[in-house]
Amino acid sequence: MSIKGGDSVRAFIIRKNAVSDWIKHLARKNSVSFPQRAGHSGFRFKPVLETSEIQFEHYRPTLAPPGKQLTPAREVLFKYRKNATADPMLESVLDSQARVLAGVRPCDLKAIDLMDRVNREGFSNPHYLTRRENTVIIAHDCLQPCDAACFCAATGSLHWRANADVFLTSLDDEILVECLSERGIALAQGDHFTLCENTEPHKKRAEALRTQPFGRQFPVPLEQLPAIIAKQWQSRVWEKHVEHCFSCGSCNMVCPTCYCFNVVDDFNLADGDSGTRTSTWDGCMLPNFSEVAGGHNFRPHPAARQRHRVKRKFEYLSQRFQEPGFCIGCGRCARQCTAQIDIFSIVSDLVSQGENDPCVP
Amino acid sequence: MKPKVAFFDFASCEGCQLAVLNCEDVFLNILELVDIVEFREAMSETAPRFDVAFIEGSIHREQDVQRLQDIRARSTVLVAMGACACMGNVQARSNFIAPAQNFQWVYGEAERNSLQTDPEFWPLWAHTRVRAVKEIVAVDFELRGCPMVPEEFVHLVKSLVIGSTPHFPANAVCVECKMDENECVFDHGETCMGPITYGGCKAVCVTGGYRCDGCRGLLPHAHREAHRWLLKEKGLSDAHIDNRYRLFCSTQFQGREKP
Ligand code: SF4
Ligand code: SF4
Ligand code: SF4
Ligand code: SF4
Ligand code: SF4
Repeated sequence: MSIKGGDSVRAFIIRKNAVSDWIKHLARKNSVSFPQRAGHSGFRFKPVLETSEIQFEHYRPTLAPPGKQLTPAREVLFKYRKNATADPMLESVLDSQARVLAGVRPCDLKAIDLMDRVNREGFSNPHYLTRRENTVIIAHDCLQPCDAACFCAATGSLHWRANADVFLTSLDDEILVECLSERGIALAQGDHFTLCENTEPHKKRAEALRTQPFGRQFPVPLEQLPAIIAKQWQSRVWEKHVEHCFSCGSCNMVCPTCYCFNVVDDFNLADGDSGTRTSTWDGCMLPNFSEVAGGHNFRPHPAARQRHRVKRKFEYLSQRFQEPGFCIGCGRCARQCTAQIDIFSIVSDLVSQGENDPCVP
Repeated sequence: MKPKVAFFDFASCEGCQLAVLNCEDVFLNILELVDIVEFREAMSETAPRFDVAFIEGSIHREQDVQRLQDIRARSTVLVAMGACACMGNVQARSNFIAPAQNFQWVYGEAERNSLQTDPEFWPLWAHTRVRAVKEIVAVDFELRGCPMVPEEFVHLVKSLVIGSTPHFPANAVCVECKMDENECVFDHGETCMGPITYGGCKAVCVTGGYRCDGCRGLLPHAHREAHRWLLKEKGLSDAHIDNRYRLFCSTQFQGREKP
């Protein structure tokens, strides 16, 4: 799908307000969402309307990541109806509505790429993939860290481009618009933007504008983390960071690479013969997540759950998918944890505390 | 034979029974599956035995205790319905106030004195400790919240009818709050009971622009020490925090947790 190499990448250089107009123009014909203010200081990906404020610089990562639009919190997977004479009728519910996610940050862009792999490899998830195939992504570069919580450069997300259909880079009052896929090119089709023959000078300019070092950094390179964390099973660090943990699961719910879910069946009272299966978000920090038949819980303590979460993000999935950093450093979990628990600090502590400081059961 | 279902009210506002009647879209379907044999809010029949008894309201007087025990003895499944039945609700706040003080606030000093000396009013003095249903009889299922959540009621009825185990996940209100992509109220200087409160209400109060005050009661794994730490960190005094906890959850917060 994505077109690599010079010729087929179409780039434009456009005034900022023209890009805002272009996104609104797209929204007249498509379902387009863009981060917009929500609550007192938060942002949400919301449908773009004529009155929407489309601004590129000053938004923090949204409360929920854009990728969650591909796996909604509650989703009917299939409907069934019993049949007296034959097998029951099962009807998958697939959402093939075309949508555009605009204003996606590089960290969330990487997260969507990772979730593409998770949902494609092994047991593929048609519900996710159907939405994904009908989703076009307009991403936007970050030249300054969003706030003190993010650490995207440390997790290899800041320079993620691979799955963007269109990639925007803000340069003072202009924006470099790179169409990186056929679908991206199609989005810009018919608009009389000034073609940019040579993007290099603009990219150099962007690099010069980018904050260095960019946000928080781990004490060692990302590639070394899986091996270091693999040795930390009994570290005191796990216990240290859960003193105030509520096991509320907020960190899971807002994480762009948390994809665990629960399924619940329900029948219609009217006939008793038909019903639905629904999937809902679940998370490993919730105590009942690891409870199995008979009531046994194999991660009864918050420290054991925190260990599992961190190992998923920095060890297990990294090894499984050969991609270091399943945590993409968006900082959402720390930002939204009422107990102020920060996965960046946990990992930094694990690195600095050395091997196997014995503690957790 | 259809299961016989009964509804009983004790000290309550009857809001939960109204919530049952408000399950309009499925109420008629439910009536086809079960026989409602007692429901003061909607009818006046009585029956000797019940397959499922729904209890609304908190328990105050000795005669209420006896009535509840009698219902329990005649019921196969007993459900505490709503915050009053599950945990005494706001009326249990009076458990922290000396009865004489309480009567004085409500009726004035002269009345208080006559209540104390007139034997006719002595039974009222037994009306001073508010209890949840489970403090008196075994409760099979709880429908939490003030009022209870109609979807949970329907889920319970469906489960009982087909003989499956109803599922009320013991997750914090925060889970559903995040599912609705709410900005956490702590982010704008408000405080919230969500992290220690039993979810299932779809975090309606936060979604509606307020905060969670904990009407569904404490989670089994509620980290109370951390929650007090958090509220103090946000500038609340111990007394203020006690007040917040006692709004709905008096019967669950007997002592103060250690710092
Ligand atoms: S780390 Fe924070 S957000 Fe996650 S479960 Fe614990 S208290 Fe909740
Ligand atoms: S673990 Fe936290 S910082 Fe990492 S991707 Fe998830 S929400 Fe973002
Ligand atoms: S729980 Fe609330 S709505 Fe239900 S009876 Fe009690 S006070 Fe009324
Ligand atoms: S507003 Fe309350 S319920 Fe919602 S996430 Fe924050 S603490 Fe939890
Ligand atoms: S948000 Fe809190 S106060 Fe509101 S219904 Fe739910 S548990 Fe009750």
